[in-house]
Amino acid sequence: MGVTLGVDAGSREVKFAAYGDGEVVFRAKVDTVRFYLTCRNGAGLDLSRLPELAAAPRWRRIVATGYGRNNVNVQGGVTMPEIMAHARGAVWQTGLTDFTLVDLGGQDTKVIAVKGGAVDDFVMNDKCAAGSGRYLENIARALGASLDELGAMRGEAPALSATCAIFGESEVVGMVSEGVPVEVILAGANQSVVKRLAPMVARYRPKVIVATGGVAKNGAVRAMLAEAAGVEVITPSDPQHNGAIGCAVA
Amino acid sequence: MRRVGITTTVPCEVIFAAGAAPVDLNNLFVADFKRSAYIEDAEVAGFPRTTCAWIKGMYAACLDHGVGEVIAVTQGDCSNTHVLMEIYRMRGVHSIPFNFPYGRDREMMARQMALLRESFGVTRAAAEEWRERLNAIRAKLWEIDRMTWEDNTVTGDENNLWLVSASDFEGEPEAFGARAEEFIARARAPFTHAVRLGYIGVPPAIEGVYQFAEAHGARVVFNETQRQFAMPLGGDTLEEQYLRYTYPYDIGPRIEDIRREIERRRIDGVIHYVQSFCHRQMEDLIFRERLAVPILTVEGDAPRELDARTKIRLESFIQMLAARKGAASWA
Repeated sequence: MGVTLGVDAGSREVKFAAYGDGEVVFRAKVDTVRFYLTCRNGAGLDLSRLPELAAAPRWRRIVATGYGRNNVNVQGGVTMPEIMAHARGAVWQTGLTDFTLVDLGGQDTKVIAVKGGAVDDFVMNDKCAAGSGRYLENIARALGASLDELGAMRGEAPALSATCAIFGESEVVGMVSEGVPVEVILAGANQSVVKRLAPMVARYRPKVIVATGGVAKNGAVRAMLAEAAGVEVITPSDPQHNGAIGCAVA
Repeated sequence: MRRVGITTTVPCEVIFAAGAAPVDLNNLFVADFKRSAYIEDAEVAGFPRTTCAWIKGMYAACLDHGVGEVIAVTQGDCSNTHVLMEIYRMRGVHSIPFNFPYGRDREMMARQMALLRESFGVTRAAAEEWRERLNAIRAKLWEIDRMTWEDNTVTGDENNLWLVSASDFEGEPEAFGARAEEFIARARAPFTHAVRLGYIGVPPAIEGVYQFAEAHGARVVFNETQRQFAMPLGGDTLEEQYLRYTYPYDIGPRIEDIRREIERRRIDGVIHYVQSFCHRQMEDLIFRERLAVPILTVEGDAPRELDARTKIRLESFIQMLAARKGAASWA
């Protein structure tokens, strides 16, 4: 059996996963803007132009999904709906068939109810990047903290009212000026993401949550989500490549 | 001919009986190539950016097209229309309020109807005669609607456009009826999309929902509110007809209507369209609790082509419904 290359074009990064002989044998990430600028070619996207894929095994087919799915016209590839790709990736990575998948990406938050290994229902955040990965990145950067430092901060925190990815920063600057410790503000940012997520998750009354996407690496968000939903939150070994893996194992 | 603007469906029989032509300001706005400029005009005039695009568009389109007289629905549709009416008046547009009485009170409806007739100097008999005349034309729309779900020979957008036009019959009912008849007479092979969708909520401001769904294996076979504009539940008097009209009152009869049509039209899932900044967005939670089929909520603001996010959602929703029926390419 040949190798399949899965491509998940997200809003921030494009993720790649190659699958062959029952294993994910290769992973890579490329900045989304650079991906389009490098690969764009009259007839579609030419992946052979990406140096990041030079070390990938020769693939026999390409399956693509992602934010730009309707624009992900990879040469020689087929496309898969995004929700399905994420559900399949999580089923393959965890071995579970019934769970609520929470995918926390750069701009999108998706909550997908998976039943019997298939998508039963899903909901996505409304039209803004509020409380998304982009929001957390902005806050961390404004405070000079790394994402690892951010992911360690939880506990008592002042409520951040503006979860807006843009205006959130000015609210944070205001708190710094009032003398609120940086660790406390970071904890507040994590908490605001979970508050935004909780109503979407509650809709499916989850028994177990699988968290994927870049934000799933944030331990504080995972812990607070488990607390808010009252269930276990499982993170697969490769949360960021989950969509690409879902494509590759198709 | 005397033109009377309307902010939503009203008893247009009264307008026709007065020898005037109704103009649905929503259609006037959205069908105009200047529609984007209309929204900007309204914002320049001082409408908050967080006001519904329909309100802003109706404001500017009414003034631009020189519609000097408007019936504004101030109960049962949108409370923004209250203030829109006051702004119209300030701009010299003669504005007549009309209320769909919450609770479907017959006496209050009779009073509203009488006030409307008085405003236009129309007798009850003359208005009722127009009910009969318009029902003959509405019957053609009911047939187009039946062809949509039973014969499968009408697209979702054709259904949408024909039914949504029932608010004003494009100002010329006879010619409109003749065009509908021609449409009914033309032959077409039935569509065979695997997934059958319903569309509930207000008509879309965004474009391409129907076409995108059809290109991805699903056809809309039910447009809830648009169908209501064509008064499918009848009624022996104008009062009765507009009390049976489900849209402006409590949500109970709307849910009954939607459930009945989901069953009859064998609908697999429903798109709930909500307008940005509209109070009706809250209805989403009621539909999600009270309808048994999967629901995809789609939010639209100003008229424009479908955005990438909405496309992703629609496509995934259709794929999910197809997989449930064992008809998915990726199943």
